[in-house]
Amino acid sequence: MVMSLMRSMVGVVLLAAVLALSGCGYNDLQGLDEDSKAAWSEVINQYQRRADLIPNLVNTVKGYAAHEKETLESVVQARAKATSVQVTPELLKDEAAFKKFQEAQQGLSSALGRLLALAENYPNLKADQGFRDLQSQLEGTENRITVARKRYIDKVAEFNKMVRYFPTNLTAKFLLHLDEKANFTVADEKAVAKPPEVKF
Amino acid sequence: MRLMGRAGWGLLIGWLWLTGVASLPAAALDVPPLSGRIMDQAHALPLAVAERLSADLAAHEAKTSNQVAVLIIPSLEGEPLFDFSHRVATTWKLGRKGTDNGVLLLIAIKDRKIRLEVGYGLEGVLTDARSAQIIRNEIVPRFRAGDVPAGVTAGVQAILRTIEGTYRAPERPAATPSSSDAFANAVFAVILGVVVGLLFSRAHRVLGPVVGGGLSFLAAPWVIPAVIAGAVSLVLVGLLGMLGPSSGSRRRGDGSAFDGTWFSTQQGGWGGGGFSGGGGDFGGGGASGNW
Repeated sequence: MVMSLMRSMVGVVLLAAVLALSGCGYNDLQGLDEDSKAAWSEVINQYQRRADLIPNLVNTVKGYAAHEKETLESVVQARAKATSVQVTPELLKDEAAFKKFQEAQQGLSSALGRLLALAENYPNLKADQGFRDLQSQLEGTENRITVARKRYIDKVAEFNKMVRYFPTNLTAKFLLHLDEKANFTVADEKAVAKPPEVKF
Repeated sequence: MRLMGRAGWGLLIGWLWLTGVASLPAAALDVPPLSGRIMDQAHALPLAVAERLSADLAAHEAKTSNQVAVLIIPSLEGEPLFDFSHRVATTWKLGRKGTDNGVLLLIAIKDRKIRLEVGYGLEGVLTDARSAQIIRNEIVPRFRAGDVPAGVTAGVQAILRTIEGTYRAPERPAATPSSSDAFANAVFAVILGVVVGLLFSRAHRVLGPVVGGGLSFLAAPWVIPAVIAGAVSLVLVGLLGMLGPSSGSRRRGDGSAFDGTWFSTQQGGWGGGGFSGGGGDFGGGGASGNW
């Protein structure tokens, strides 16, 4: 009995050794590459969802505060700008495109924040059922964006580490031709930590 | 599964015992260990209400597999509402893995804040708008009137009504555990035996290993795994028991590993297997409100 236990322990140790030696990271790199692409798609997906909510929101606000043209216009424009910048998972290596995307989305965030702040001055708008529902959907979407971004940041950090660490960097460079992926910056992260204020 | 729950408790108690409850660092607001469907850390609910709600939620889960839990805390201590509620929901992993059908209702009494955190799989029915309506129409008016138990009850009932019928509990799988299940059970039997054995070995040198080994023997499936598990636990407890606590420098727990100041409905504790999340994930759906 003790013998068989010993033997199985030796087996476990051997298996662990083999696993440790096969650390070229080919599968891990491929897996993380795919995971971070999926995480990015989720980020895009949530930003798109936010953009989809905006026409409805703008129309509802117009019904109560049509004369607030400037704020309404700026939201429409920011939305148009944000939806025109698309970053597909393949383009993630492109720091410049990534930065442009971030800026466009941030522009939309602040325009939206102003629009929602404006609602405070219109009690009828605030009490409108449609507006309330849109508000909660928007709030939920902001939260989803936060979660999606956080998951993307974590995945890309993992991926980038493997791309830089030895020896997996060799696999990444010579075998898979993978580069580091762009990630959200800290300054940007701070701005996102404060989502547009939504009051009920 | 039941065994895993029991072993989980064993681990938890063992861990609390080893670290000493009071010496835990209080960085961000800690996610309380999940021990029941109604976790009332703010003493906002009378026992009868908590038990009835807990029974309702258990019945709902048995029927639909949806896992709904309520957490009432005294204060967020400055942490953003969404950050905390999402952390709790993803730590507890409410809902089944794959269907992600969990819901968390979080209430922070001092902050007067409410958050409904909805798992991926229920976002379609318990939409953000619907969540906000439940908070606004069911919970907030009662809270404003000062009746927290009624607000929580109405909120929970509205949630259950909304998500009723989206999922059905899966048929119980046939009771023939595969060999990997048997192995997992044996491993858990050993962990259980070691943890409990170590607890006992504080009382008595010999009693500990015997109890640990015996427990592992009883908990493991079938004869051969049971003998192996028992023997492993016996040896481990014997060795660890000699090394560890007798050195005297370690902080001594006060017997009960549980913080006695808050109530949570435990479905039977050790015997009945507590409540634990099924592996569901949360993507930020739901709504927030305040009163």
